[in-house]
This record gives sequence, structure tokens and C-alpha cells, in this order.
Amino acid sequence: MSFVVAKDLCRTFDLSDPWIVRKLTMRPKRLLQAVDRVNFSIERGTTYALVGESGSGKSTIANMVVGLLKPSAGSITIDGQNLGDASMSRPDQQRLRRRIQMVFQSPYASLNPRWKVGDILCEPMRAFKLIEGSEAQRRRAAELLEQVGLSDSDASKYPHEFSGGQRQRISIARALASQPEVIICDEPTSALDVSVQAQVLNLLKSLQKEFGLTYLFITHDLAVVSTMANKIGVLNQGVLVEEQDTEGLFSTPREDYTKMLISSAPKIEFGS
Amino acid sequence: MQRFLQSDFFYAFTRSPLAMVSLLVVVLMVLSAVFANFIAPTNPFDPASLNLMNGFTPPMEANMFTGESFLLGTDDQGRDLFSAILFGLRVSLFVGIMAVGLAMVLGVLLGLIAGYVGGWLDTLIMRLADIQMTFPSILIAMLIFGVARGLLPPELREEMAITVLILSIGLSEWVNFARTVRGSTMVEKEKEYVAAARLIGLNRWQIMLRHILPNVLGPVLVIATITLALAIIAEATLSFLGVGAPRTEPSLGTLIRIGQDFLFSGEWWILLFPALTLLALALSVNLFGDWLRDTLNPRLR
Repeated sequence: MSFVVAKDLCRTFDLSDPWIVRKLTMRPKRLLQAVDRVNFSIERGTTYALVGESGSGKSTIANMVVGLLKPSAGSITIDGQNLGDASMSRPDQQRLRRRIQMVFQSPYASLNPRWKVGDILCEPMRAFKLIEGSEAQRRRAAELLEQVGLSDSDASKYPHEFSGGQRQRISIARALASQPEVIICDEPTSALDVSVQAQVLNLLKSLQKEFGLTYLFITHDLAVVSTMANKIGVLNQGVLVEEQDTEGLFSTPREDYTKMLISSAPKIEFGS
Repeated sequence: MQRFLQSDFFYAFTRSPLAMVSLLVVVLMVLSAVFANFIAPTNPFDPASLNLMNGFTPPMEANMFTGESFLLGTDDQGRDLFSAILFGLRVSLFVGIMAVGLAMVLGVLLGLIAGYVGGWLDTLIMRLADIQMTFPSILIAMLIFGVARGLLPPELREEMAITVLILSIGLSEWVNFARTVRGSTMVEKEKEYVAAARLIGLNRWQIMLRHILPNVLGPVLVIATITLALAIIAEATLSFLGVGAPRTEPSLGTLIRIGQDFLFSGEWWILLFPALTLLALALSVNLFGDWLRDTLNPRLR
């Protein structure tokens, strides 16, 4: 069985007015079907990319896979364990949470501006009781910073002292601090400029090789997808319209929507 | 410390004479209130040291019976007004600071909960705040003061007067804190560092207190300063109306009330000096608060 499995995943959002307003204006409830019966599975140690334009439900799926949002219907299992299992005890929940972490889109909002980088990195270790003792935690934080290409002296700085790319590295280090097996990357490079994007993507690749990580990549950028993903799912308005491995999708796209996405990606042309 | 001295904030402070003077006045007043025991020439609340013959001595003049003279004169009991003002300042500042502290803790907590949890709890807290906003805060304070005194046994009333005063002013000023904190909490909770904290399984309280609270405290300090001026004035008003600090522990408001009795018989100094002290205190706290608000507000830079 695959490592991460999403089965018939649905999510509706209730955008209705408050009850009293609805009764007075006699309007029905307004529901938004953000994700509609999406199925996919990710093998251990591979990268799966979900692509789609804004509003296609990519981020909603990401939030459901890490457990920030509850699915309206369907299920997500990680290594055979159901994420939405209400009967799970709190220690079991914590054990499952540790295995799934996330790297966020905005390098500016994803780090608490009042916390030093060292404290940001030590928090997951404390929450999951991975490393006891502040001295050992400090040492681990320094190690993590070096793994993502920063220096151990950066632990005593605040997030605002770093550039966007460096912050994204800190964000990756924070995810690694939990020693996760799956990392969900929600548009991790879309706020960075192109040269920094490549560095961050290379870092993610080498970490995947080193720790055998499984990635779920959420992005709208087909260039990112082509370098990172083993398998790609194309989302359109909450529905998974096509799923293929990376080469197949770019060489022989089946759906019109996929063709449209590929042809509308900006390309650099020389000579003309 | 080094970082503070190099900050924009400190630079703005050194360029504003208004801020420096008002802070200086506040600091001087706080110090003289704290060290009132050492500064005051007499203890105005030790009946044994008072001489009734000294009553109604005008400022800087020798008393016609005893020949003693007092910097700011004396009241009807022969109490040295300068000493009485120092001790009154202590009561006023103590009540003001404690009341603001209470209002701040209450308002920040309720605002955090309303903003973070949302839903019906948010509605309940904020409608309560709206209702309280429709009454003048001095009215609320008088109401709470009256109810609390009614509930207390008579022998405890004098002793508990200061505590009740703090409670009633504190409870009447929490709304501004709650509104501001709720607003910034609603902005902060959508940020991704909060999602990251939820991912590692922190509970609501840990997220609210450890992650969100430090990020919403900036405006709270400004409101606290401005509210301090309001609280000092509220305390003086209550005491002036005779429902605040008792005669045995007079605040500036109590002193003004006592002085008012003698204003029309010519002993102007008993009213004037406590009133001037109150004016200087409230004005400088207010001016400093306004400066703080303007300086820390990025939209006004």
C-alpha cells in the first residue's frame, strides 16, 4: 500500500450569510465545493505534485493532508493510519503529527517575528519530546541550520534579519526538526525570485535523498513541477482531471485543460 | 540596550521636547510618590504630629500662633499640604496603575479569546463590550463601586475602599484593550506561523499566549498609557464625589474635595495645589501617550 493515500477526498465551505440574515432575505445556503472526490496516492520517497490555477483547491488539499482542515468526506491515510480517526489517543495523534510537516508559501508570515530562529527550531523538538535538555536542543538546532545551508550562529537572530530565501531555509529546517517522513510543500518557492527558487528546490531534492522524504508539492509553476515531481495530478475547480508521471504529462497530456496549462506557461525563446 | 539606543523610536524621542518633558514629569511624580515617606517633611496621617493651631496656614507664610511655615500651606486640620499631596499622589498613582493593569489583563485575555476562538464566544464578548461602551465609563465605575460596597460588611468598607476602587475602574476600562487585541489577533491567526504551531500539536492556549500574544502587544502599551490618564482622572472624580478613596487615605481627588469646602472662605491653596498636581500628572501622562501612539503608528510616520 502506498505511503500517503487520499480517498474520495471532499471539502465544502459554507459561505452563507448568518442564519438570521438568510431567513430574512429568504436566500438558500451558499456552499462552495472546493475539493470534489479527489483520489491520489504517493509512494514512499517520491514526490507527488498537485498543479492547478488559483482557486483549484490545491491548498485546501494540502491543509487537509497535514490535518489543519477536516475533510467533509473521504479519508487520508498515512502509512496505514487514518488521519481523521477520532478515537485516536492524544499521544498517538502527536506521533502521527510528527511524521507529517509542512513548508509554507510565505517566507514572511511563516516565522513568528518575535521568536529567535533557535527557539523556532527547538519548539517542535519540545512539543514532540524528541530531544530533552536545552543544551542538546541547541546543538540539534545548529545541526539543522547547517543542513539547510545556514550557519549555526544564525540561531540567535530574529527572522527579520534574513532574506526571503534564507527564511524559507529556516522554514524547511523547522519542518525537519520534527524528523518527519512526509513534507507538504505549499508553493514553497512562489514568493522567491528565480535564482533563489532553484537553490531552495535543490536543497529540497538533496534532503529528500538524504532522509528518504516523501513530498507532496502544491504549485502552479510547471517549471518547478518538471524538475521536482515523479508524478503529477492536475486539479481544476476541485476535481482531479488528470494524473500521470512527469514525462508522460509533458509529452502526451490527455486533457484539454492540461494542454492549456502547459501551453500557457511562459517559455523563453531565443533568436526570433 | 545598545539596540534600543540606536532605534528609530529612541531617536524620535530625543527629537521631541514634548515627549521628553512629559516623561520627565511623570517619572518625577512616580518617584516622589514612591519615596513620599522620605521626601515629605511631616507624616500627614499621624494625628499625634498634627497641631490644630497650624490650621489654614497660607503657603510660605508663618503661622500666626505657632510661627511655623509650610511650603504649600496647611488644611483645616493643620496638615502640611505638600506632604498630603505626596501621599495623595501615591494613592492616585497606585489606584491608576493597578486599575490599568487589571483592565489590560482582562481586556487582552478576552480580546485574544474572542479573536482566536471566534464564533458565539466572540459575539458574546464583543456585544458585552458594545453594551459597556454605550455607558460613560465613570458611570460603570460608580455602579460597580456602589454594588461592591453594598455587598461588603460595613466594618470592611474603609479597608477595602482602595481595592474596590481599583476593581471598579479596572472593570470599566477593559473594552478598548479587548477591541484592539481582538482585531490584531484575527489578523495574526491567519498567518502561517500559527498554522505551523498547530501542526506540532500545541493547544489553543499555548498558541494564543506564546505565539499570538507577543505579536499583538505593541498597540496595547499605547492604550495602557492613554488609559492610565483616564484611570487617574476617573479615580479623582470618584474620590471628589465622595465615593472613592476615604479621608483616612486621601488621594488627590479626596484632597480636592476637602479643599473645595474652603474655596469660598478664602483658603484657595487647599484646593489649588492638589488640583494643579492632578492636572500636571494627567496632562503629562496623556501627552506622552499621544506621542507614543503617533510615533508607533506606521501610518502616521
